[in-house]
Amino acid sequence: MSFINLLPHLLNGITLGLLFSLIALGFMLILGLMEQINLAHGSLFALGAYFAYALCAARLPLPPDWLAVWAGVPLIWRFAAAVIIAPILVAPFGLILERLMRRTYGRDPLYGLLLTFGVAMVIEELIRVVWGTPDYMLPVPQEISGGFIMLDLIWSTYRFWAAGMAIVAMAVVWVIVERTRFGAMVKAGAHDSEIVQALGIDLTKLRVWVFVLGTMMAAFAGVIMAPLWGIRPHMGVDAVVPAFLIIVLGGVGSFWGAAIGGLLVGMVVGLSSAYASEWSMLSMYLLLLLVVTFRARGLFGKKSVLEV
Amino acid sequence: MTPARRTPIFTWAMIIVWLVFASVPLWIEKVGLYHYLGVEILIFALYALAYNLVLGHAGLPSFGHGAFFGVGAYAFGLAQFNIAANLWICLAAAIGAAAIAGALVALFISHRRGIYYALMTIAFGQIFWFIAVKVHSVTGGEDGLLKIERLPVDLGLAAFDLTTNVALYYFVLAVFIVVSFLLWRIVHSPFGRVVKAIKQNETRARFVGYDVWRFKAAILVISAALSGLAGGLFSMAQASAFPDVMSLHYSGYVVMMTLVGGGLVSFWGPVIGAVAFFLARDIIGSVTTGWMLWFGLSFVVLVLFKPEGIAGIYQSLMQRRAKASAPAVAPNAQGR
Repeated sequence: MSFINLLPHLLNGITLGLLFSLIALGFMLILGLMEQINLAHGSLFALGAYFAYALCAARLPLPPDWLAVWAGVPLIWRFAAAVIIAPILVAPFGLILERLMRRTYGRDPLYGLLLTFGVAMVIEELIRVVWGTPDYMLPVPQEISGGFIMLDLIWSTYRFWAAGMAIVAMAVVWVIVERTRFGAMVKAGAHDSEIVQALGIDLTKLRVWVFVLGTMMAAFAGVIMAPLWGIRPHMGVDAVVPAFLIIVLGGVGSFWGAAIGGLLVGMVVGLSSAYASEWSMLSMYLLLLLVVTFRARGLFGKKSVLEV
Repeated sequence: MTPARRTPIFTWAMIIVWLVFASVPLWIEKVGLYHYLGVEILIFALYALAYNLVLGHAGLPSFGHGAFFGVGAYAFGLAQFNIAANLWICLAAAIGAAAIAGALVALFISHRRGIYYALMTIAFGQIFWFIAVKVHSVTGGEDGLLKIERLPVDLGLAAFDLTTNVALYYFVLAVFIVVSFLLWRIVHSPFGRVVKAIKQNETRARFVGYDVWRFKAAILVISAALSGLAGGLFSMAQASAFPDVMSLHYSGYVVMMTLVGGGLVSFWGPVIGAVAFFLARDIIGSVTTGWMLWFGLSFVVLVLFKPEGIAGIYQSLMQRRAKASAPAVAPNAQGR
């Protein structure tokens, strides 16, 4: 296969990688500050996708005449609204989860794992109860879907849009984490929570906000991913596993680690799908095994809670 | 120096569990349930007991045990089709294949614990599941491995047929009795004590001179092998093997059973959990399709407020009662 033919696969990989990075970053922020793994992170991602579907397909629990008005809005505006509103709608779920997780802070990480695993099961069942088991496709407005021909190859327009939106979201997160007082507090809190508390910073409040931020990032990624993956109840699992893989790969506590780790995973999956599309997801795990065998702390990792 | 407490070879709890299970086929249909449910419960009780070796006794949170259960199920079927249609050979294949899978995983993760252990076991679980779904020619993919027979129990002098659910139930019960007895001995052997010490403080156990890595690897292999045995029995009960028992969800179910029953504080906790899980499935499931929602919610509540599970609730009730009647007696609930 010539290099040119690989380009679309590479683009697919980069898009996938950017979205994975976004999920992984939220996962990592929570891991850093709470010292707990949030196994329900993927469920928040799935909820984002389902809320986006409810908004775009105009299937909302609203009075019929209101719904008719909403359905009359052009799809492009409904989609734009979903990108912004869906993460806001998912945020309360993150708040509840954080409230539950408080009981596990400072205890054996086993309890946090079990709790978030249980919550993940509950959210998935909730999705099944509300939306049923069938797969949905998120309707994508004509303006950003379809394809075009470049270099004698067919390219999917939406993938460019997805990559673009993911880059914008990553940039926003970078500014928040690296250039604001809030970001400095989050990083300091992950580094040494006792000193941060001694400096008079309200760690409880900080944790709430970090959880909300992480939740919204996951939900945003869910919205963007929905047209690519389709919407199904167990999509959360498909997202949370790559996220932690990226954390292991990139190392805990590094923005660029997560970004580059995500791109790496995305590209490995994208490129291997060019040769064996059935097996592309397995390549991700092989990459993980390689990394943990030869570089246990990941590419940019520092000592972290993962090593207790 | 106080002399080491001797563990009784048989305990009342053990005999009661065995006797209760032995009586199940006599009354299960009278209370509106069915024999196959008993088989399912018993197999998963065996699986959960084997799983608890890792979670409860070694403190290693594995979220990928479904892989071993599934490997056992497939190995049973494949051995039946390709090697010999003999029950003992097929069961040995199930145990052996799962032990090999366990050893492979142990090779990569035995220096880990806590969060990292959980995440790596999830990853391995996903790998095994993924392979089972994709290698269509061997496993049948999503359709599963069908037409697995319930092989007769050949004891040399006599042979029993397992085609009825009651017969299968008693065979599984026999296996359950042997395995639970073995597990009881393992947990209370010097080996089991070292594993317990590692759970309490790994660094200290290492400094005392134990090769921690080996003990952690060994406990995972034993647990995997017995999970594979349960998987083999399950494929015989179902007359087929499917990849979904290897999914993260099924791996999670055994974690839930073990914790809900009280695997963290009691040897028999996982058995209670398996019973609770299947009864919840059938009883709540007959009222609403979203039974997992309610079971999941009660799991979450239990993790938050009483991670010691049903056995833990019972123990603290007994303790309170003992305190009320005779304050001087300290009940020794551990290990029962």
